[in-house]
Amino acid sequence: MTMNDTPYVLETSGLTKRFGERTVVDGVDLHVPRGSAFGYLGPNGAGKTTLIRMLLGLTEATAGSMKVLGRPVPAQRGEALARVGAIVEEPRFHPFLSGRDNLRVVAAARGPEAHARIDGALARVGLADRADDRVKSYSLGMRQRLGVARSLLADPELLILDEPTNGLDPAGIQEFRVMIRSLVDEGRTVLLSSHLLDEVEKVVDALAIVDHGQVVWQGPIGDIRNGGERTILIHVSDVERTLSILGRHVAIASAAGDGDTVRARLHSDVEAAAAAADINRRLVEAGLSIYRLEPARASLEQRFLEITTRLGEAA
Amino acid sequence: MTTAEHRPIGLVGAELLKLRKRRGLLISTFALTVIPMIVGYLVVLLMHASDPAKHDSAGGVENFAGSVEMLALLAGVAGILVGSTLGSADLGAGVFRELVITGRSRWSLFGARIPGGLVFLVPFVLAGFAVAAGASFAFADASQATPSAASLVESAAWVVLVATTSLVLALGVSAAFSSRGTAIGILLAWQLAVAPLLLSIDALGGLREGMLAAAVERLRPAEVGAELAVPMSLGVALAVVAAWIVVPLTAGGWRTATRDA
Repeated sequence: MTMNDTPYVLETSGLTKRFGERTVVDGVDLHVPRGSAFGYLGPNGAGKTTLIRMLLGLTEATAGSMKVLGRPVPAQRGEALARVGAIVEEPRFHPFLSGRDNLRVVAAARGPEAHARIDGALARVGLADRADDRVKSYSLGMRQRLGVARSLLADPELLILDEPTNGLDPAGIQEFRVMIRSLVDEGRTVLLSSHLLDEVEKVVDALAIVDHGQVVWQGPIGDIRNGGERTILIHVSDVERTLSILGRHVAIASAAGDGDTVRARLHSDVEAAAAAADINRRLVEAGLSIYRLEPARASLEQRFLEITTRLGEAA
Repeated sequence: MTTAEHRPIGLVGAELLKLRKRRGLLISTFALTVIPMIVGYLVVLLMHASDPAKHDSAGGVENFAGSVEMLALLAGVAGILVGSTLGSADLGAGVFRELVITGRSRWSLFGARIPGGLVFLVPFVLAGFAVAAGASFAFADASQATPSAASLVESAAWVVLVATTSLVLALGVSAAFSSRGTAIGILLAWQLAVAPLLLSIDALGGLREGMLAAAVERLRPAEVGAELAVPMSLGVALAVVAAWIVVPLTAGGWRTATRDA
């Protein structure tokens, strides 16, 4: 099987990492689709970096299996990582070497074709003019960009970025977002690990939410916004009568008024579209004017808190 | 245009690059190999010039033997500095994980440090040796014997051997302990204080044959040699040196290959 035959660039099954009694990554099943920006979102200490470290062969898994670009890791780690670029936590360099020499050192490990990419990578991240300065004179933002340049030496099919905007100013963060999207537009896959909801929401196509070492949700970003507690918003002429009608409707778990709007939460086992149509019909039949009826779209932040809070309560 | 600074390098070249761009290490290595030879001969020249009757001229095999002994001692220290840097620099800077991420085998990353370190260190050692050898001829008067060609070759090889064993020992120890400072401390204390002390204790008898210092002393060329503290066969000496190279390297390599990066 060639690397491009698989629809997923990353697949893990039951991936687990324990440090003594403490389970940091707990049976993670993850599927990262090819050619997407994929968010790996979770609070600090959720096990995001540990999972990435296992994928990259920096630490061994306690249990489970993983494939990177279709190849099993660690059995075929060398071949798997040949087309993977990564920044794990903050990128580190030899401070007494120039930016270019730091890239030459890594290119030496990757092979001559990686060396040929050095100038292009430096230019792409805007460091061509400072390439021959020692890294110890670089700002944090410049080091982040040099880290991206280093990861591009692999001509990566998959780019793994762990908290890449840490320490960047707003302009730097914006530049980073644009760069990530441009990489995806080139057909690469970017796995973006972050605890920053805003950062993930603005960049990714799909995501997994991780908490206490477990993936608690994964799918397209649109699904997570729509798939929370299923709530519909009804802008209506008479809120009190609407609440009275909805109180007798079998699909409604609860309803509350807010100005000229009623927020109605559906039972989890009902089909949302059919329920919304039926509610609309009954309200019209009751002589009410419906100005708007729409699903309540949760922000990623709302959904994230909803999911992680629920897990915390269950525990 | 491809300049020297932009030329592709392999793993060994990368190790060499990391060493030669460390200004402090470059100066220290020069100061431990070439400068002592220059200073040593300058002192003897001045002494001879000030009182020729009391002090022989600076050349000849006797001064050469003393210079080689001093060079071997200091080249050993230089080997410890270079080896301990090789063993821990990537890890200390956090760059080791960046190299592991490339997918390259950890053993090959570790293995490249040995030739990289030797390519850096040996030219300094040979330069120091060249100063000593040149001076032994240039400043010899008619009454002084000069080193033979065989002695020159054997002495050069012996000094390089001393530097090499120190380098690989320090590389292995610093990789095993993941600490440059710890490796330097342990090895300097061992080579400069503990080993000479143990060698002088006759009660230890044949146990001393297992010491690197005793084996290296056995391999020292006769023309620049001294009386052996621990007599042993050539085969045993070679086996002991080999063991002191292989064991620490294996320990350091294993630690590098298995540790969390």
